[in-house]
Order: sequence, then structure tokens, then C-alpha cells
Amino acid sequence: MKLPTDFHKIWAFAARSLLVNRRNVFAVFEMFFWPGVAIFSVGLLTRFLKLDQETVTFILIGAVSMNTIQIAQLDLSYSLLYDVWSKSLKHEFIAPIRLGHLLVGAGLIGLIRGLVVFAIMGLLSMWLFAMDLSRPGLLGLTLFLLGMFLNAAIIGVAVLILVLRFGHRAEVAAWAFSYLLLLLCGLYYPVSILPPGVRELAELIPLTYFLDYFRHFYGFPLISPYPLLYGFSQSFIYLLVSYALLQYTLKSALKRGTLLKLSE
Amino acid sequence: MQTAILAQGIGKAYRLGFWGSRKTVLREVDLEVGFGAIFGILGPNGAGKTTLISIFTTLLRPDAGQALVLGLDVVKEAGLLRQRINLAASNAHFLWCLTVEENLRFYGRLYGQGGRALARRVGELLELFDLGPHRRVKFDNLSTGLKQRLALAKALINRPEILFLDEPTTGLDPEMAAHLREEILRLNREAGLTIMLTTHNLREAEMLCSEVGFLKEGRLLARGRISDLQEQLGLGDHLTLIFKDSPAPLDYGRMPGVLAHKEESSQVELVLDRAEIRLAPILAAISSSSQELAEVRVKDLDLEELYREITH
Repeated sequence: MKLPTDFHKIWAFAARSLLVNRRNVFAVFEMFFWPGVAIFSVGLLTRFLKLDQETVTFILIGAVSMNTIQIAQLDLSYSLLYDVWSKSLKHEFIAPIRLGHLLVGAGLIGLIRGLVVFAIMGLLSMWLFAMDLSRPGLLGLTLFLLGMFLNAAIIGVAVLILVLRFGHRAEVAAWAFSYLLLLLCGLYYPVSILPPGVRELAELIPLTYFLDYFRHFYGFPLISPYPLLYGFSQSFIYLLVSYALLQYTLKSALKRGTLLKLSE
Repeated sequence: MQTAILAQGIGKAYRLGFWGSRKTVLREVDLEVGFGAIFGILGPNGAGKTTLISIFTTLLRPDAGQALVLGLDVVKEAGLLRQRINLAASNAHFLWCLTVEENLRFYGRLYGQGGRALARRVGELLELFDLGPHRRVKFDNLSTGLKQRLALAKALINRPEILFLDEPTTGLDPEMAAHLREEILRLNREAGLTIMLTTHNLREAEMLCSEVGFLKEGRLLARGRISDLQEQLGLGDHLTLIFKDSPAPLDYGRMPGVLAHKEESSQVELVLDRAEIRLAPILAAISSSSQELAEVRVKDLDLEELYREITH
């Protein structure tokens, strides 16, 4: 690996993501408007329902996680969608890059944007709804954040697979995957209330364990005895499998002529 | 002559839809292109030109055969090869919200360039293609001609050893197309760049290409220097001699370079391999026979005629 060369290739995607985000008014909306709306609407709903502080915190953790993951994965998902929308996909793949350059470069900006969203939502939750973010401690918070960003990476890579396979038609997946997680991982409710069959499905999603881990600092019982072990093991397995699938999809795209069709 | 591009038995078929049948686009294409050449792939729409160039540029994997570009296998050594080639296609498309300069910087970085070296290269290309005044204009706001110039600038960002151009002048106005052709010729002459281009514009191929290949329905029907193909097919320049009285009593068929001849009343029609070197001796022979010419017409063989002959 030639470090300076690889650095420039990674920076190409990071710098491009930064420029596009800076010039796109919707990117500002994604980072500030929707997370703000989410915190206010969910927080005020808990006030209206007169919920106790522990339950309020439980629900707010879900809202913060949802938006953080959503924003963090978007930069990855969009990294190929930008090229599909501008019909320039072939110019990217005629260059001597590896998928790793794209994932690290775009993922880095996703990580930064995700952290900003987490910070904004966390501060708003603390200020407006008395949520105590310091209770899990620095290590607990860092591990939870790491878990969330791993989930965001898995979603982002899954969207990239669909983009390389289905092109424009996969656009919707960039948003839909996160909402599917919302449904299954118990963002706003414990997974124990999910109907049989669906709960087992929730156990296959690493975010379930990270939420479980983070919420236990606020007095909620652990569903799994080793949430971090399960969460990180699943995350690494899914990440490896999804990366291998992405490589396979690219090879298949080179065989099927998908890169050319998406550049027309 | 060293080989820059070598293709042996290249075949490619696409599946039509998920369950659909396969459509063969290329069939056993053999091709050899030397360094420093401008090689034109000619053919009608759907002949397989873009498919072939996409295989050489590693954007598409062949189903059969082997292709070597700069001695590197386009499938097994694609990563190494990509560093040394580049492509500009018709209807240039780049990220809409990036400026000319930002787009060039983005692609430069993809080739591992950065810092001052990248800034210098981007500056050179902006100057070379007269894009300097437009460096801060977003891609979406560029005219078609400027977009095409940016595409060519991007294609040179990594100083490629072989440049692939897929219908480079399609969609351009005649003036811009002529300007771009001059640029292509200059790159070939001054930088010694090997260029492979696809076109269905025969005049363009005639102006630019040292060698051509005719592709039809996925088959390479003929390839070589235009003059060699002309000779192989017995095609040539047309010379029409119109006499004031009867034609000069000469054995035209035995004259050097005459491929065919026809006499009709006061008119003689000759097909010559190369009019520019055969005309003078023929006129000298007529002059010595004391016959007076009323008119001499020369019509060069054009590529269109050659194309019709090969593809029909």
C-alpha cells in the first residue's frame, strides 16, 4: 500500500462529499432541521403523555440514534448515487481506485456529520428534556457511538450494493433501510413487545444490542447478557459480508455492463 | 512497430432483462494497434464500438478472448492498467455542482495526485484547453463545447499512455468539432499519444486516423491503413478524361497504377490506386499522342465509399 497515493484517493471522495454537502441546502436540512424536528416532536410528545424521566430518556435515545445513523450512512449511500445522478460512474471506475477508498473517504464525512447530529440532538435533549447524557460515562458513550457508526456503515454498504445492481431504482433504499431498523430494533419501544418471529429478527440486528447496552445505564434491564459482544460480533460479520458482496456486485456490474448503462 | 493494444477473439453478449435471451454484441474480434497510432473504430450505431472500447478501458469484461493494453491483461491486471490509460466520451457528464477546477482536482486525486503536483497539472490542463476563464464555473452551467473540453482535460489528468475517445465530437457544433479534432491531432503529434477513437463520422476518421477498423454487427470486417484497405478492395481514386475528339489510342489497362478503366465515346474513366502520383505520367502519355483534352476530373476515394464496400 502506497500511503500518500491512497490518502489522495480517499481524500478525493471525502473532499467531494464535503463540497456537495456545503452546496446542497438539503444537506443542511438533513443535519439541523430534521434532527431538530425529531427531538422537539418526540420530546414534546413525551411531555404530553406525562411519561416519567426514565421512559423519556429511553425514547429520546431512540430518536437520537435514528437520526445519527441516518445522517452517517447517507454520505456512503450517496457516494455512488452522486455519480449515478450525474451519469459519471464510468469515470470513477476507470480510475485506479479500490472500493475501500470510496468507503473510507465518504464514510469519514458521514462519521463527522453523524457526530455533529449526535451532538446537536444530545445537547437539545439535555437542555430541553433533562436527559443525562453523561451517565454512561465516556467509555459507554464511545462504545455506543462506535456501534451506531458500524450500523451506519453496514446500511451504507448495503445501499451501495443496491445502487450498483439497480441504479436509480435503489435511491429509495438510501432512506428506507434506516426506517426498517426503526421498526425492528426497538428505537422507541423495547424489543420484548415485538410479536414472536419479529423479535428473533430484531436479535439479528446489531443496533438492538447497542441500544440495549446504552439504555441499561439508565436503569433498563439488559435483554442480552453480552450486548457489546453480540453487537460488535454481528457488526463485524455483517460488515465483512456486505463488503464481500459489494466486491462481487462490482465484478458482476463489470460483466453485465451496468457501469456503462448507469453512465448513459 | 510495438503493440499498444492487442485483442484476440474478443466476444461479448448482454442478457436482455433478468430472464431474457442473450444478445451478442461482439464476435471474435482480433485487433492490433501500434504505439503512436490514431486508430479509428468505425461502424453504424449498435455495431459494438462502445462495447469494444469499454473492454479496452476495463469498464466491461469480455465473455471470450483476451485483450492486452500496454501489455497488461484488461481483466487480470485492470488496476495497473487504469493508472496508464484514460477515456473521454461523447456527451460529457461530471458532477453537476462541482466547478471545472474542482472536477479536475477530484479526478486527479483518484489517480493518486495531490498537493502542488496536482495544482500544477490542473493549471496546465486549464491552460491547454483554454478553460482558465471558466475554472470556477459549475459543470451544469457550462456550454456543450466547454463540457467536452473538460472531458478531454480530465482524460489527460494522469498523463495517459493511451487515450480512448468514444465519439468525441458527437453533439458539438462544426466549429467546436474541428477545434477538438485539431487538439486530438496535436496530442498525437506532439505528445506521441496513442489514441483509439470510435466514430460513425467517416470524414472525421479520414482526417484523424492512421488506421481504421470497420465493425458491423459485432464483427471486425476489415482493418488497416486506409490506403491498404483501398488496395485490398480494388478501390481507388477516379480519374475522368474528357477528350475534344476521340480518346487517345492508349492501352490504359497496362499503365502502372490503373486498377480499372472504361472508354465511352470521347470519355475515358480510370480507377487509380493513387491519383496524385499516377496523374502526371498519364497526362504526359496523352500529350505525346497528340490528342487534346477538354477536361480532367479527379475524385479521391473517400472513406464512405470504402465503408459501403466493406459493410454491404
